[in-house]
Amino acid sequence: MTEFVKQKMNRTMKNRNSVILIALLMLGLSSCDDFLELTPEANLTSVTFFKSENDFAKAVNGAYEPLRGMYTANAWLVSEMHSDNTRYRYNPNFRATLDQESLNDFTVLPTNTLMRDNYRAHYLVIARANQILSAIDGVDFDAAVKNNLKGQALFLRALAYFNLVQYFGKIPLHLVPSTSLADVALPLSEVSDVYAQIISDGTTAASLLPDKSVQQPGRATSGAAKTLLGNVYVVLENWSAAETVLKEVVTSNKYSLVPSYADVFLTTNKNNSESVFEVQYRQGQDGYSSNFIYPWLPMPMTAAEISATFAKYGVSPTGIAAQTTEGYNIPSLDMVAAYEPGDERKAASVGTATAGGVDYPLIIKYLHPHTSATLTDDNFPVYRYAEVLLLLAEALDEQGKSAEALPYLNQVRDRAELADIVSTANLRDVIFNERRVELAFENKRWLDLARTGRAVDVMSTFGASVKANPQAYYFPPGQQPVPSAFTQIDLTFPLPADEALLSPYF
Amino acid sequence: MNKNFTFHNKGAFLWGFLLIAMLSHQLVFAQNSRLSGRITDTDGAVIPGVNVVIKGTSTGTSSDSNGAYALDIEDQNATVVFSFIGYTTQEVPVNGRSNIDVVLQSDIQTLSEVVVVGYGSQFEKEITGAVQQLKSDELRDIPVAQMTQKLQGRLAGVQINQNTGKPGQGMQVRIRGQISLVAGSDPLYVVDGFPIVGDISNINPDEIESISVLKDAASTSLYGSRAANGVIMVTTKRAKAGITSIDFSAYYGTQVVPEKGRPEMMNGQEFAQFKKESAEDLGNTPDPAFQNPAQYGDGYDWYGGMLRSAPIQNYSVSLTSSNEKASTSAVLGYFNQDGVLKNSGFERFSLRINTEFRIGEKVKFGFNAAPLFSNANTPSTDGAFYATNQNASIPGGLLYNALLTWPILPYQNPDGSLPLTSYIPGVSAFPAPNWYRTLTEVTNETKTTRLISNAFLEFELVKGLSFKTSINVDLGNSRFVNFKPTTTSEGFAAPPPPNLSTSIRNNSNYYSWLNENILTYNTEFGDHKINILGGFTAQRYRMDFSQIRLTDFSDDRIETIQSAANVDRAQPQGVPAPQTRDDIQEWSLLSYLARVNYSFKGKYHLSVSVRRDGSSRFGSDNKWGTFPAVSAAWNVSDEEFLSNIEPISTLKVRASYGTVGNNNIGNYTQYATVSTTTNAIFGSTLAPGASRTALGNTSLGWETTKSVDVGVDLGLFDERISLVYDFYQKNTTNLLYSLAVPQESGYANFNGNIGELKFWGHEFTLSTRNTVGKVKWRTDFNISFNDNEVVALSDGVNRIYGGQNGYATLTQVGKRVGQFWGLIQDGVYVDQADFDSSPKAAASQVGTVKFRDINGDGVITYGGDNDDRTYIGNPFPTTVFGLTNNVTFNNFDLTVVLSGTDGNSLAVMTDQGATNLDGVFNVLREVKDRWRSAENPGSGKYGKTTSATGNERDWLHSRFISDGANITIRNITLGYSVPVKKTFINNVRLYTSVQNLYRFTNYRGPNPEVNAATGGDQSAVNATNMGYDWATFPVPVTYTFGLNASFK
Repeated sequence: MTEFVKQKMNRTMKNRNSVILIALLMLGLSSCDDFLELTPEANLTSVTFFKSENDFAKAVNGAYEPLRGMYTANAWLVSEMHSDNTRYRYNPNFRATLDQESLNDFTVLPTNTLMRDNYRAHYLVIARANQILSAIDGVDFDAAVKNNLKGQALFLRALAYFNLVQYFGKIPLHLVPSTSLADVALPLSEVSDVYAQIISDGTTAASLLPDKSVQQPGRATSGAAKTLLGNVYVVLENWSAAETVLKEVVTSNKYSLVPSYADVFLTTNKNNSESVFEVQYRQGQDGYSSNFIYPWLPMPMTAAEISATFAKYGVSPTGIAAQTTEGYNIPSLDMVAAYEPGDERKAASVGTATAGGVDYPLIIKYLHPHTSATLTDDNFPVYRYAEVLLLLAEALDEQGKSAEALPYLNQVRDRAELADIVSTANLRDVIFNERRVELAFENKRWLDLARTGRAVDVMSTFGASVKANPQAYYFPPGQQPVPSAFTQIDLTFPLPADEALLSPYF
Repeated sequence: MNKNFTFHNKGAFLWGFLLIAMLSHQLVFAQNSRLSGRITDTDGAVIPGVNVVIKGTSTGTSSDSNGAYALDIEDQNATVVFSFIGYTTQEVPVNGRSNIDVVLQSDIQTLSEVVVVGYGSQFEKEITGAVQQLKSDELRDIPVAQMTQKLQGRLAGVQINQNTGKPGQGMQVRIRGQISLVAGSDPLYVVDGFPIVGDISNINPDEIESISVLKDAASTSLYGSRAANGVIMVTTKRAKAGITSIDFSAYYGTQVVPEKGRPEMMNGQEFAQFKKESAEDLGNTPDPAFQNPAQYGDGYDWYGGMLRSAPIQNYSVSLTSSNEKASTSAVLGYFNQDGVLKNSGFERFSLRINTEFRIGEKVKFGFNAAPLFSNANTPSTDGAFYATNQNASIPGGLLYNALLTWPILPYQNPDGSLPLTSYIPGVSAFPAPNWYRTLTEVTNETKTTRLISNAFLEFELVKGLSFKTSINVDLGNSRFVNFKPTTTSEGFAAPPPPNLSTSIRNNSNYYSWLNENILTYNTEFGDHKINILGGFTAQRYRMDFSQIRLTDFSDDRIETIQSAANVDRAQPQGVPAPQTRDDIQEWSLLSYLARVNYSFKGKYHLSVSVRRDGSSRFGSDNKWGTFPAVSAAWNVSDEEFLSNIEPISTLKVRASYGTVGNNNIGNYTQYATVSTTTNAIFGSTLAPGASRTALGNTSLGWETTKSVDVGVDLGLFDERISLVYDFYQKNTTNLLYSLAVPQESGYANFNGNIGELKFWGHEFTLSTRNTVGKVKWRTDFNISFNDNEVVALSDGVNRIYGGQNGYATLTQVGKRVGQFWGLIQDGVYVDQADFDSSPKAAASQVGTVKFRDINGDGVITYGGDNDDRTYIGNPFPTTVFGLTNNVTFNNFDLTVVLSGTDGNSLAVMTDQGATNLDGVFNVLREVKDRWRSAENPGSGKYGKTTSATGNERDWLHSRFISDGANITIRNITLGYSVPVKKTFINNVRLYTSVQNLYRFTNYRGPNPEVNAATGGDQSAVNATNMGYDWATFPVPVTYTFGLNASFK
C-alpha cells in the first residue's frame, strides 16, 4: 500500500467516524425536548382537562363524590352522635374508640380524627367546586347546560360551607382553587363573611338550577338551593327571608309528603316526591354502596345475632359476619321516649337488636334489603320536604305568625298519624320537638341544639343522666364515662389540630 | 480431585456436569512439555494465585494454594512472566528447564490497584475522590442471597441494614448517612457501566468480580442527577488474559432463628391468670375459661410455631477463557433459600455471559447478557396487626398477629389437624383466623424474570482518541399472585373463616434502555498525563402494571381467574388506588458529560468534571440541571523530602468538591393530575366523574447535594499498616418533599423543593498486616461517625411531622431529621393523692400511665397547640463500624467479621399490641407487674387493666423506645485448602461458615437493623419514618458448609 493510499484511507475513516458521531449527537439533540416530555397515561392532567362541556359535566360529578364517604364515615358522628339522640355501647374489649366516644361524651380534642376527616371532606367538595367555577366561564358551550353545571357547583359549595361554619365557626374561605404552596392556606374568615358567601352562592344557584321536574334525579335543583337558603336564614334568624324562600319551595308544587313515613326511606323509593336533596348510593361491590347501618349495630354481635336482628325487618344479605368492635349511634332512651304515643314514626325509625341476650334500640329507618352484608343501598337524606315545612313553620312562628305556621306543622304530624296542634302556646318548643322525631337520625339534632341556644342545658342534663346511670346508657357493669365527660359543652368544634399544624393562620 | 473426600449434597448433578467438563478440557490441552515450580515470597511463604504467562502469548496459568504451578510450553527458549499484585513482576527465561522456583519481591509501588470509577478505571494512586473497592474474593463464603448482605461491616461510611429476614429481600444501603426526606435514599447501582433500575438484590453474587463505592460528589458527579445517594459500581466477572479456567462453588446450610430477641410473651397459664385478675379487678366473675389458669401450663407458643429451621443452598459454575481475539466468561448459578418462617422461600436461576472481541488493536466490541429467573413465596409479614393484608403493596402483619394470639388456644390440634379459628366466641374480643393456617395456606408468590444485557463497540480513531458507543437494556417481568383460600382471613378483626376466597394478582413489565456515546482521549508528554472524556447519554424507562382483585372462587384448590365469581373494583379506605387497575410509569433522562483528569509527574492529580442532565420528572421550568465537580490529590510520599522518612511508605492527601442531584421523586409529580375515578351515582345511574386531585408544580426541580471531602491515605512500614481517613460535609438543598398541606385546599400534598439538610462525618479505615510469614494475620477496621442537621425549611414549613400511623417523628430546623417525637412516661398514677396532684390527660385515671407535663400547663396533651411531646430518640446511628480479621496458617484460613452501630434507637411497635391492657391480646410477660391497686402498684411501667389503655397504647412515648446500639458477629468462616496434586485442579477449598451468629445489644426486639412500615411495605420507609419495628420476619443464624474448586 502506498503512503498516499494509507493517508487517504485514514482520512476517509476519520471522516466517516466523524459523520457517525455527529449523526448520533444530532439524534440526541434534535429530539431532546420531546424526549423529556412524558405525561401520565393513567391520569389526565389539568393541562388537558377543563376544556369542554363534557369535562365540566365530569368535574361536577366529581364534586358530589366526597359526599358519599362523608355521610358513611363521619357525618353522623359529628352530629347525631354529638347529641342526646344516640349513644355508643362501651366495649371493654375494643378500645380503639376514643375519637368516637369523645364526640358522644363532649370531650372532643383538636386531635379528633373524625371531626378532622369531616372538615377535610367538606373542603374537598369546596375545592372541586372551585375548580369548576374558576374555569367554566372560559369555555364556550350551551348556556343552559353551563348554568345547570354552575348551579350544582355553587349549591355544593354553599352546602359545604354551611356545614363547616355551623360546626367550626370561623373558617378559611376558599373561593378559587389553590394552585401553589402560597395559597393552600387562608386566614380565618369571620362567620358573617362566610354566611354572606353561602347566601350569595345559594341565591345564584337557585336562579341557575332547573327545578326538580326537569333535573336528573339526585342532582341539586333550584328547590334544593332554596331549601338550603331557607335553612341558612333560619340559623341566622332572618325569619322573613326564610319565610319568603321556603314558601317558594312550597308553592312551586314540585314537592309533596310521601303518604307513609316509613316509605320515605325505602331503597325502592329513592329521590321520591318528598326528597329535596339526598346523598346517593348504589349497592354492589364497585364502591358506591352505603354501609351506615352496620356501625350502628350494638356491637359486639355474633353473626347469628345480626342475622336474627335483620331477619325481623325482612333483611337477609349474604355474608353476614360477626361484628366485634363497638356499636355507635344507638338511640338513647331519651330519644326513644321523645316520640308521642301513637307516633307512626317511632316504629318506622327505632327497632331493637339483641346482642348478648340484651335488647338495644336500633335505627331501622335505613335498614332495607341488600344483597351482600355491609354493602347497602340506602341513600342518606340531606333535605326532605317535611323539613321545608317545619322550617317554614318555625320561620312563621318566630315572626309571630304562629297561626299561619300551624298548617305546615300539621301536614307533618298528619302523616305521622298524630293529632293536629291547634294551640299556638309554646309552639317554638313543639316545633323543636317535632324536628327531633321527624328528622331523627338525619344529622340534624346537634345543629338544632346549637343554633337555638339549648345545647348547654340539654347536654348537661343529659350528661348528668348518663353519669348517674351508666348501665342505662349501654355501659357494662363497672364501667362509666370518663370523669371529664359532659363537663364542658362547646358550641363549635376546635379547628382540627392536623390542619392547625400546617396552616400559618390558626 | 482429591479422593480423600466425597461430596454429599444436592448439587451432585452439577458435580457430574463438572467432571465431564473437566475431562473434555483435559483432552484439548494436555500436550507439549511441562514446566512446573513453586512460588514463594521473601519470607518463604507460598503465594497462591500468581499469574504465570509465557511472554508474548496469552498462554498461562496461576499458582495453586501451595504456590505450585505447572504449564505446558512449546518453545523451550520462551520467557515466563510471573506477576501478582503487590509483588514485582519477574521475567524468567526457561532455557530448557522443567522446574523453575521463583521468589517474588514485595513491591509497594505496584500496590496501586486498578479501581473501577465512574466511566472508566484508575490506578489507586491517581484517584482524587473518596472511593472504596472490594474484590469478590474478599467476600467469598458468606451464605447470603445478595451482594449487599456480604458488604455489611466492610465499607467505611456505608451503613447496610438487613431490615427483614425475608429470603432474598430487605437490604437497605445508606452511603454517608445520606437520606432524603421523601425522594429515595438508595444509592445508584451501576452494573458494568450501566445504571440499572432498582438494586442488585436479584443478581447472583457469584457473578460479581468487584464492587466500588463512590462516596463523594467528585467521584459520583458524572452520574449527575441520580448520584446524591452515592454510587455502587458493580463489575462482573471477565476473563483474564491468557487464562482459561472453570470454577465451581457450592454451599449448603441451615438457618435457625435465635432465641435472643424473641418477644417474651406470657405463656398459657400466665395469660389465663392475667385475664382472671383483670376480671376480678373490675369486680366481675372471670369467664370459666380463665378460672383455672394452671390447666394451661405453657400453652401454645404461636410465634415459635410459625418458625422452622430451613435449608439454604447455592451452586455456581463459572467458565472463563481468553485469547488474543476474544474473551468469554460465563457464570451459571442456582440459589435456593427456604425461609425460617414456614411457607416462605426464594429460588433463583441465573446466567451471565460476558464476551469481548478484538479486531486488531483498534476495535473492540462485546455482548453481555444476564438473564435470571426467581421465584419467591413471601408470607404477609412485617406490618402492624391491623394492616389490611389484602393488597400486594400492604402485606400486613401475620407474625405480629400470631404474637398476639391467646396462648391458651392451639394452632395445631393434638391429632395434627388445624383449627379453623383462634378465638373463643363470646369471650374473645375479636374473631381471628388460625394464623398458622393463614401462614401455611395463603399463596404469596412472586415470579420474576429479568434480563440485563448490553452491547458495545469501541474503536480508536487516532492514537489516544477512542470512541465507545453502547446500548444497554434492563428489562423485567414480575408476576405476583396472592390467593387466600376460604380457610384464611384477611387480617385482624376481619370476619373469621370460612370466608370468601380472595385473590390479588398483578403483572408488571418494565424496560429501560440506555445509549451512551463516549469519546476519550489519553495522552502523555513529558511529565504530563491527560485523560479527557466527553459524551452524551439517553435513557428511557417504561413500566406497564396491571392488577386485578378477585373474590369468591368456586374451589380453594383452583386459583384461576375464571373460577372467581367477582372482580372487586372498589377502592378500600387507606389504599391509594382501586384494587383492580392499570398503571403506566415512564421516565427519561438526557445527559451530556465531560471530564478531564490531569497528572503531573505521577504526584499531582487533578480532575474536573461536569454533567448536564435533563429529566422528564421535573417541571417545565426546571428540567435541566448542571452538576460540576473538581478534585485533586497529592502523592506526598513521592516527594524528595519524605523519601528519607523510613516508616512512611505511602502518603496521599485528597480534596474534592462537587455537586450532585437526586430525582427520585417518582414520575409525573409535577403535574396537576386529574383523577378519573371520582364517579357519582344519581338514582342508580353511574355518572363518570373527574377531579383534579393533585397540586401541580411547574418549577419542581432538582434536589442538589453539594459535597466537600478531604482525605488522607497513609501507608506505614511497607504497607503493614495503612490508614485512610476522610472528612466530608454535604449540604442537600432544594429537598424534594411531598409536603403535607392544609387540606382546606382540597389537596393533601404539594411536591416541592422545601429545604436544606446538612450531613457530615469522619471515616477511618485501618488495615494492618499483623503477622506475615507462616501465619498471616490481617485486620481491617473501619468506623464512621455521621450526623445530620436540618439547616432550613422553606417559608410556610416550620416543622415536618412524619412517623407511622400517628406515632410521630419530627423534623425541625436546627435538629436532626426524623426524630422520635413523643411523651415521656413518668410511672403511673399510684393513688388518688398522686392523681389529684399530677397533671392529667382527658382520659387519665388513678392507675393509668402518667406522662410528663413538658410545657408545664398542668394538662397532658398529645399533639395540638399545647403539645407535651418532646424528642425521645434518634433512629439514625451516629457511629457505624466493622472489623474483619483474617488469619491464614498453612492450609487453613479463618475470617471473622463484626459490625455494629451506636447512637440509634428504635420504636418497638409490637408494644402497641403486646402491652395492650384491654385483655384482647396476649401480652409481654412483664405486664404481670402492672398497677392493680394503690397497695399493689406494680413496676410503674404498666397501668391498670380496668380502663381504656388508649393513651399509653396510641400515644408514642418513651416506653416504646429501645436502644439500638449493637455489635453483631456477622460472619465467621473457617476454610481448609485441600492439597491437590493432579494438574488440572487449581485448588480445592472446603469451608464452614456461620452468618449472624450473635448480637451484643440491649435492643429488646429481634433485629436492631429493622426499618418497617405499618403496612409491611418496606418501600414506604423514608427519612421521616425510620426505626419502627413491627414484628418483622426474623433474621436467622445461618450455618453452612461449602466447597470452592477451580480447574484449568
